Amino acid sequence: MQRKDSWLLPEGIEEVLPDEARHLENHRAKLLALFACWGYELVDPPLIDFLDSLLTGSGHDLALQTFKLTDQLSGEMLGVRADMTPQVAKIDAHNLKQEWPTRLCYVGTILHTRGDPLEKTRSPMQIGAELYGHAGKESDEEVICLMLDMLAMTGLLDVHLDLGHVGIYRALSKQAGLSSDQESELFDVLQRKAKPELQELMAGYAIDPDCKQMLMKLVELNGGKDTLSKAKLILANADESVKQALADLDSIANTLAQRLPNLPISFDLAELRGYHYHTGIVFAAFVPTVGREIARGGRYDNIGAIFGRSRPATGFSADLKLLSALSKQQYYIPRRDMIFAPYLSDTALSEKIRELRAQHKTVVQQLPGQVGSAQQLGCTAILEQVNEQWVVKPVA
Amino acid sequence: MLTIAVSKGRIYEEALPLLAEVGIEPIDDPKTCRKLILRTTRDDVQLVIIRATDVPTFVEYGAADLGIAGKDVLLEHGAESLYEPLDLNIARCRLMTAAHKNAPPPYGRIRVATKYVKIAQKYFASQGIQAEIIKLYGSMELAPLVGLADCIVDLVDTGNTLRANDLEPREHIMDISSRLVVNKAAMKMKNQAIASLLDQLEKNIAQKN
Repeated sequence: MQRKDSWLLPEGIEEVLPDEARHLENHRAKLLALFACWGYELVDPPLIDFLDSLLTGSGHDLALQTFKLTDQLSGEMLGVRADMTPQVAKIDAHNLKQEWPTRLCYVGTILHTRGDPLEKTRSPMQIGAELYGHAGKESDEEVICLMLDMLAMTGLLDVHLDLGHVGIYRALSKQAGLSSDQESELFDVLQRKAKPELQELMAGYAIDPDCKQMLMKLVELNGGKDTLSKAKLILANADESVKQALADLDSIANTLAQRLPNLPISFDLAELRGYHYHTGIVFAAFVPTVGREIARGGRYDNIGAIFGRSRPATGFSADLKLLSALSKQQYYIPRRDMIFAPYLSDTALSEKIRELRAQHKTVVQQLPGQVGSAQQLGCTAILEQVNEQWVVKPVA
Repeated sequence: MLTIAVSKGRIYEEALPLLAEVGIEPIDDPKTCRKLILRTTRDDVQLVIIRATDVPTFVEYGAADLGIAGKDVLLEHGAESLYEPLDLNIARCRLMTAAHKNAPPPYGRIRVATKYVKIAQKYFASQGIQAEIIKLYGSMELAPLVGLADCIVDLVDTGNTLRANDLEPREHIMDISSRLVVNKAAMKMKNQAIASLLDQLEKNIAQKN
């Protein structure tokens, strides 16, 4: 039965109209060209895949976000991609099998079952870049710099970088011997930096008092550069890997400060965005007027193991539709100038039109009996015959 | 500039002394003036006066950097996209179930009238009770009297309204107080201003308890 409001789209699904599409495509082309200049090669993962492949190494959240369908050929469950990162990791691990660092980038629409809590969209256009095969902080630095370049290229000013490291919480909870239930309880509280609840929770845990103290202090370890020196004191009794994590953060921040002296950097050691997936450094970019991050990423080593090869990995992604909408507030990309041509069966005219189009000019040819003049169509010039020659003239 | 979202009424009244202690006093009085944005004695701080249930929404989107909201509102809204670092210990009350004083204890599938749909669902599930939730926006106490529901879930302060309607409090679900909530991006981008405000407030609150 035909619905009454058949024009109405499902919630969180959108059509991109010409004005937006022009901006979106402009940014897409520019950003892919930027990624190419850094040696990141474009790949195009499939829209659907077997569900278990799509959900590899990810948490419950991605399973919930993935639209599912049954493959009528194999009887297996399929999913519509809700995040392209694991798909790209699969390409690196299974198809390319290179021993050296591999740089890949991608752009495409993904679908989410539940709308973003703030943007409400269920069909973001994910754009991102991933670097496989290097475990050191230098590769993290490279992808962070590329992310910042990407944001600069979309015209976004006043970008603020936030750095964290999920290995710190992971090591502390291991050191404290938390059960997986306790770990996820604590995770929920840390995500909200709910200090009163944290104290309540901790009071009920029978764990080493040193560990307890360190976990309690984690929520306070956020802010400027002094965060790391504070952390070194507070986390002095932590596992060696925590010290390494702090040293890595320090070093990355120093490198970034040298390369981009005006970039504001903050640290948040209780930031657990993508905790189930990430294994090391995590980072995010913020801009004023947007209540949450506009691009995010981090290290996620060994996700490819299940596809046959375990590789270190780091990368970032963003919603290109969001970036495009934000940058549109800063600058407007006008429509191309168009030339209006009359409809005539005249070889000279056809030849002239072909010539103009070959020069990347836009020519719109009139259709017999159509309504709308050159001006109404938004054309700025018109093809006219002067002395048996077809010439371009400005619209009167 | 820091924008703090506060709801009118009890939370506003009880938050004012706390804010005054850190030098934030509204210049305009929301009772007499219809302005929704209130200037304060601190040039870098303004208050926005909104409905209690809208506070998490404003703060989530970054329309306000900070907000003061009851734990009941935060739980019902789902506040994963906010930070809630501080219990302000104001507007304290209890979230309880209540039923007619002669009503038998819940048995089988029960009907519950409340404005806290999510909290009630979660609570009864944790008690192993199948509950059908009826969403109401006010006058919860009426529901058991007219046979709309077997019991209600609501905030209880003095219990006078319950008694006046022949109801009695039954199970204590949780204690409620107001929390200071912070927008995630603001916490990062305006860290210094927010961290020092949090610090001062926390010290003052600790002294009172």
